Amino acid sequence: MNHALRRNLVPVMLCVLWVALLGTLAATHAWILSPRTLTSVLQFATILSLAAMGMGLVVIAGGAGIDLSVGGTISLSAVLGMMGLGAGLPGYWLPMVCLGCGVMLGLFNGLLVTRLGILPLIVTLGTFYLFSGLALALTGGGAIAGVPDWAVGWGRARWGALPMPFITVVLPAFVLLSGLMALTSWGRWIVAMGDNERAARLAGLPVDRVRLMLYALSGALAGLGGFISLAWLGSARPNIGVNVELEALTAVLLGGVAITGGRGGLVGVVSAALLVVMLRTALLQIGINTVWQTGAIGALLVVALLVNRFSNSRG
Amino acid sequence: MAQLPALVDGVERLTDMMQAPPDAFVQARGIGKRFGALTALRDVDIDIRAGEVLALLGDNGAGKTTFVKVLAGAHVPSDGTLRIGGDTVRFASPRDAADHGVATIYQELALSENLKVAENIFLGHELVRPVLGVPFLDRAAMRARVRVLLGELDAHIPDIEAPVGSLSGGQRQAVAIARALNLDARLIIMDEPTAALAVAETRKVLNLTRRLAESGRAVVIVSHNIADVFEVADRMIVFRRGRKIAERKRAETDPDEIVALITGAHPDARVADQP
Ligand SMILES: Nc1ncnc2c1ncn2[C@@H]1O[C@H](COP(=O)(O)OP(=O)(O)O)[C@@H](O)[C@H]1O
Ligand SMILES: [Mg+2]
Repeated sequence: MNHALRRNLVPVMLCVLWVALLGTLAATHAWILSPRTLTSVLQFATILSLAAMGMGLVVIAGGAGIDLSVGGTISLSAVLGMMGLGAGLPGYWLPMVCLGCGVMLGLFNGLLVTRLGILPLIVTLGTFYLFSGLALALTGGGAIAGVPDWAVGWGRARWGALPMPFITVVLPAFVLLSGLMALTSWGRWIVAMGDNERAARLAGLPVDRVRLMLYALSGALAGLGGFISLAWLGSARPNIGVNVELEALTAVLLGGVAITGGRGGLVGVVSAALLVVMLRTALLQIGINTVWQTGAIGALLVVALLVNRFSNSRG
Repeated sequence: MAQLPALVDGVERLTDMMQAPPDAFVQARGIGKRFGALTALRDVDIDIRAGEVLALLGDNGAGKTTFVKVLAGAHVPSDGTLRIGGDTVRFASPRDAADHGVATIYQELALSENLKVAENIFLGHELVRPVLGVPFLDRAAMRARVRVLLGELDAHIPDIEAPVGSLSGGQRQAVAIARALNLDARLIIMDEPTAALAVAETRKVLNLTRRLAESGRAVVIVSHNIADVFEVADRMIVFRRGRKIAERKRAETDPDEIVALITGAHPDARVADQP
């Protein structure tokens, strides 16, 4: 197969999937393609996009990088944020507490990966159970109500059809991180260490420090996701992050990030995250069971992995 | 009395040091490197001078790469001392070595295939315009500098925006050398630079090597190819089983003698064959 096409197989596939999905819906369920659906998709895609961007950067930086703990981090930072308020912290601290918890949980992953040299898959699978388990244990499985009104007001506000959290958090984060990747030396280092870690180390790049920072960043974005879940739902639910890691990983791979690192970007990741949510929303509105929705995402993940493997085999 | 051999050894080393011409940029003395039970280098003394190409030869596993990695800061020696530019150094990382003007071009080229030519040349030393501490790349300045560097090397890379993965072996070698030049390296080490190259590209890389020495840099080249070595090197050092067994100026030797040293047929090679 043509080399250029092969390198760009995933973006091409992503476009094809978008066209196919929208085309099918327009032909069979045109009523779904409404501003209301747009709002709902962006609302659901807010948390997923944040998690997927964090996971995407961790994967691009290589070293078998992956962050399966994002869902657990979202749940636990939301729960800890509300427990902080319960313990007497003033309400306006809520975003900072969620963000801070996310950073700490991400740093914990990063330290296990970089200092102890444990495989990221193992580390983050372990912390996924640890964080989600803690969130459940701390709440006894129930929700913690009492999110401040200003937060809920912001979380449910819209600007036209666009949800406020998407405009004020996801878009800025996307612009900032894409700019960082494309315009700064840090972005080049992240790609370089994912592409050829040995070369990056010989060039004197602080590979372990960058990797640690990226796990912390992934945690930070998940922590923000936790705060957004509070502002949106009005309470902390210990299971809010369930399946986010599966969907985020699907978005990352479908978005053209090489699972082996060194290739891919956030434009693909976010557009794939939107596709995943669009697909799920459409299935939901058509009335297809949630079990099948998860199955469809899983199938998408498998396809993304296969195409990824094919387009990355060198030579 | 047990200290006597050590003392004699020390005095010998001291006299060696005093006899070394003052201009030797690198003075390696008594360098040893062990990997667990395996001794990869034993008591190696080498001087490397500015403006000269020094070739390291030897059979596979003789210790050439290990020695070069000690110079490059990729291995910490188990024994011995290293003086570079008059300072006694102890490199903990390739970064330390680079800070002392040592640049290495490894056997398996250490380039990032998905990055562009300029991005590889500047990796870790990007030209930036910081805004609030964030290092924004100055791509125009880097491209301009890359053109100068490649021009200086007389290397032809038609598209410097191309990812390095799409370049030929010789072009990659030129990128790696341009990287070393850009870091203002005073010592440039090339480990088997022509091993994977076609004949025409080998010519170009050998020319580059001479050019680097003529510009006043010290060059160390590791090679298996005797003809290449005789074409570019001013001095040759032969390794065998982790020891330096011979040192010859090009004018004072010939390919047959060097081959005999490498294969162990030469009487001087015997030192390394004692247990
Ligand atoms: N990182 C390492 N760990 C263990 N042994 C090594 C390592 N690097 C080299 N060696 C051993 O040291 C010896 C010298 O190797 P090397 O310096 O690569 O030889 P050359 O470059 O002359 O072919 C060999 O026996 C090799 O197997
Ligand atoms: Mg070697």
